[in-house]
Amino acid sequence: MAQVTFLVKLIMRGSSKKVITKEDWEKKLNDVKIRKEDMNKLVMNFLVTEGYVDAAEKFRMESGTEPDIDLATITDRMAVKKAVQCGNVEDAIEKVNDLNPEILDTNPQLFFHLQQQRLIELIRNGKVEEALEFAQEELAPRGEENQSFLEELERTVALLAFEDVSNCPVGELLDMSQRLKTASEVNAAILTSQSHEKDPKLPSLLKMLVWAQNQLDEKAVYPRINDLSTAKLEDPSIS
Amino acid sequence: MPSASPSTSSGRPTDLVSRLSSSDRGVRLRALREVKNQIIGNRTKKLAYIKLGAVPAVAAVLADASDGPGPDETCNLLVQSAVALGSFACGVDAGVQAVVDAGALPQLRRLLSSPDEKVVDSGARSLKLIYQSKLAPKYDFLDHENLQFLLSLLNSKNENVTGLGASIITHSCQTSAEQRALYETGVVQKLVDLIGGSVSQRDASLESLTAIIKNNYEVTSKILEFENGRALNLINKFIIDKSPRTRLLACACLIAVRKTSSRYVEDMGLGLKLIHHLLELLEDPGQVGDEASFALSTLIEEKEDLQKLALEANAINKLCIHLQNGLSCPKRFQGILLALANICSKLEICRSKLLALQAFNLVSDALRHDCTDVRVAACICLRSLSRSVKNLSAGYFVNETVIIPLLQLLHDPSIAVQLAALGAISNIVVDFTKHNSNFIHCGGVKQLVELSMAMDPVVRSNSLWALKNLTFLADSKCKEVVLSELTASSLATLIHDPESVVQEQALALVRNLVDGCVDSIDYVFAENGVILDAMGRQLQCASKAEIGIQGMYALSNVASGSKVHKDAVMEQLFQHGGMNAQPFIMRFLHSNDNHLRTASVWVLLNLTTFCPGAAGRLQRLRNAGIISQLKSMVNDPCLDVKLRVRTTLGQCMNYGDSTI
Repeated sequence: MAQVTFLVKLIMRGSSKKVITKEDWEKKLNDVKIRKEDMNKLVMNFLVTEGYVDAAEKFRMESGTEPDIDLATITDRMAVKKAVQCGNVEDAIEKVNDLNPEILDTNPQLFFHLQQQRLIELIRNGKVEEALEFAQEELAPRGEENQSFLEELERTVALLAFEDVSNCPVGELLDMSQRLKTASEVNAAILTSQSHEKDPKLPSLLKMLVWAQNQLDEKAVYPRINDLSTAKLEDPSIS
Repeated sequence: MPSASPSTSSGRPTDLVSRLSSSDRGVRLRALREVKNQIIGNRTKKLAYIKLGAVPAVAAVLADASDGPGPDETCNLLVQSAVALGSFACGVDAGVQAVVDAGALPQLRRLLSSPDEKVVDSGARSLKLIYQSKLAPKYDFLDHENLQFLLSLLNSKNENVTGLGASIITHSCQTSAEQRALYETGVVQKLVDLIGGSVSQRDASLESLTAIIKNNYEVTSKILEFENGRALNLINKFIIDKSPRTRLLACACLIAVRKTSSRYVEDMGLGLKLIHHLLELLEDPGQVGDEASFALSTLIEEKEDLQKLALEANAINKLCIHLQNGLSCPKRFQGILLALANICSKLEICRSKLLALQAFNLVSDALRHDCTDVRVAACICLRSLSRSVKNLSAGYFVNETVIIPLLQLLHDPSIAVQLAALGAISNIVVDFTKHNSNFIHCGGVKQLVELSMAMDPVVRSNSLWALKNLTFLADSKCKEVVLSELTASSLATLIHDPESVVQEQALALVRNLVDGCVDSIDYVFAENGVILDAMGRQLQCASKAEIGIQGMYALSNVASGSKVHKDAVMEQLFQHGGMNAQPFIMRFLHSNDNHLRTASVWVLLNLTTFCPGAAGRLQRLRNAGIISQLKSMVNDPCLDVKLRVRTTLGQCMNYGDSTI
């Protein structure tokens, strides 16, 4: 965080390309004051958004940082997410409706994707007749309401036309990644309904760090962070 | 076709609905949950269950549950039934109607005072969804108890309840008395506090503040002064918020402020900022993007300076790109056409820009769109584009690709579409370069004449308006087509239409028909002069100046003709209203309306030109006191009147009126 703040300051100054030694850099970094509470909030925000409820609870006790959301709602949200990930879409839908009935009533795209996932699961389990009936009864009317839904529906139903789905052009719908995609869409919608941001702040901060370093590369040679997981400052290589 | 086994444990909808009324509470609860989970997000299912009478059944469960045993089970029944009712009302008009008809509103309102937070949540959510529909009953803010109840909602700690309070304001606050009542009870203070709350509270309060501000100068100035402009600063902050919905609502609020308070009207910086923000919001793929164009329209309508700024901000390009990419959402399509119509409503440079982008065909194609609102918007856009002599002269509008669909819209089942089409036709038939024959060839006159007999008075008036424009400076061929299609007796009937707007347009049509060459004056003498007679009788009893103006100009056109024509006009001036009645022209000469006096003096001027019989007519006018009235008008405050009066009196001197 200190690195980002400092980098942005340097960029704003627009200095001509110069060399900054590691020693100078660290001295300057030490001048940037970041409150511990802010760091903690950032961590808590990450744990809450990503749904690590146990870790959030422990972190709350250890650091005294209060989460900005009722931790019990995280458990409900994770239960929904898990249900989709396991292919129990109907169960997930009921859980979302118990949590907040407005979510699926006001979000046609999410509702369609959940129904589509239900259809995919039926096809995966070889319930062809049931899948056809479900597509006709539940999904076809949505397709009439929205052209892009219709196209997605056609792609999904195409799964039924292939004997060997591993070799079919729309086979990726049966991948685990499709379930994860749907699960994360539900997760985001629940977060939004709880007036919470759907993405954690930490990754954006790292993105900003990368961007700032790239900007600064044009203007100065300085101790870069190349490995984000260790945040080790590299010695400026003078060429 | 054999039906496969149902995918859910539920069974068929009819069974489920009957189980809603089971005497076993457990069965009822399971049926309720099942119905709820089937209808949420599913419009088709909602409609199907509404048809089966599920809404009254659910409302009955809600009413019964209030006094049943077992707190847990009771709470669950209350929650499930409230949620189901809310879902029926969400996005489906028939559902809102059914819920209201089932008397569920007071029941849901009762839930708000439950000790159980979940019950309160579900009641508040459902009521909020109901109040998002236009069909919800209007909430009476002028009633003291209602106002106090609303305040208690806004003061609640529960987010759904405060959200409901804000939704009620957005739904029902319309008149300035209501706006004032809300302000005076301290609602604004509360809403401004809520702007600082969660995302949903902030959005809901921004929207309801807009409803309180709209067109109310008094309340708006108070809100602007509120705590040194705290409210406005807050709103300003949110036009660059992360959430697109919040940005849009903050923009809408500032637009309402800007349109109401003169303090901000001159602030072009704000106008430009809003235009940029709205154009950016237009790119949002969801509902926000659909609504952004409507906000843009509200901002720039009737404001030439802002239309110019929008042009400079590349708005026309951006809107046209959306048109070119094809729009699957009718609401977005409508919004974009209306925004284009507004930008092009006053400035020729804007119209040229749109035409240069080859967007004209996209607009005219929209005339055939499935959705009524899109067709109306396309007509309005064409009307804006055709407000241009240059474009009319270029003949853009009179080719078959525009005229044929426009004429088809005159048969549209929706009156709104008919009126919008008439609006566009009225402009495009104004003939600057004799392109009219194409319109007539396509059967346009026949259809306009049909609509001039429509039940709706506005449709009658607007179709006459179009015919009037069609005959403006038209050649005799065109006029003959119009009159033979319409017939003299029908035109006479229309002059005596029960509605004054129709009378005015009918007289204006006569005025254009008899304008021009002397031969065209004969039109009013067709069928034994039935038109001329109708004109005279209408003028005798006309109450509105507009009717007098059109009628007198029509008479003055007739009076510009031969001796026969002039004498016929003289007859009309004197024959109506009995022996002792004052001729209507005397009444008009005394009118406060400059145009009406001008038109009346024109009649006299034409009657007294040097021509056979002039002396006799002059004598008659003098006997009726009309000439002395004219003499008293030589210094009329209206320059036009003064000039014509002097010309007329000058002509009278030729006949030896030495008293002048």
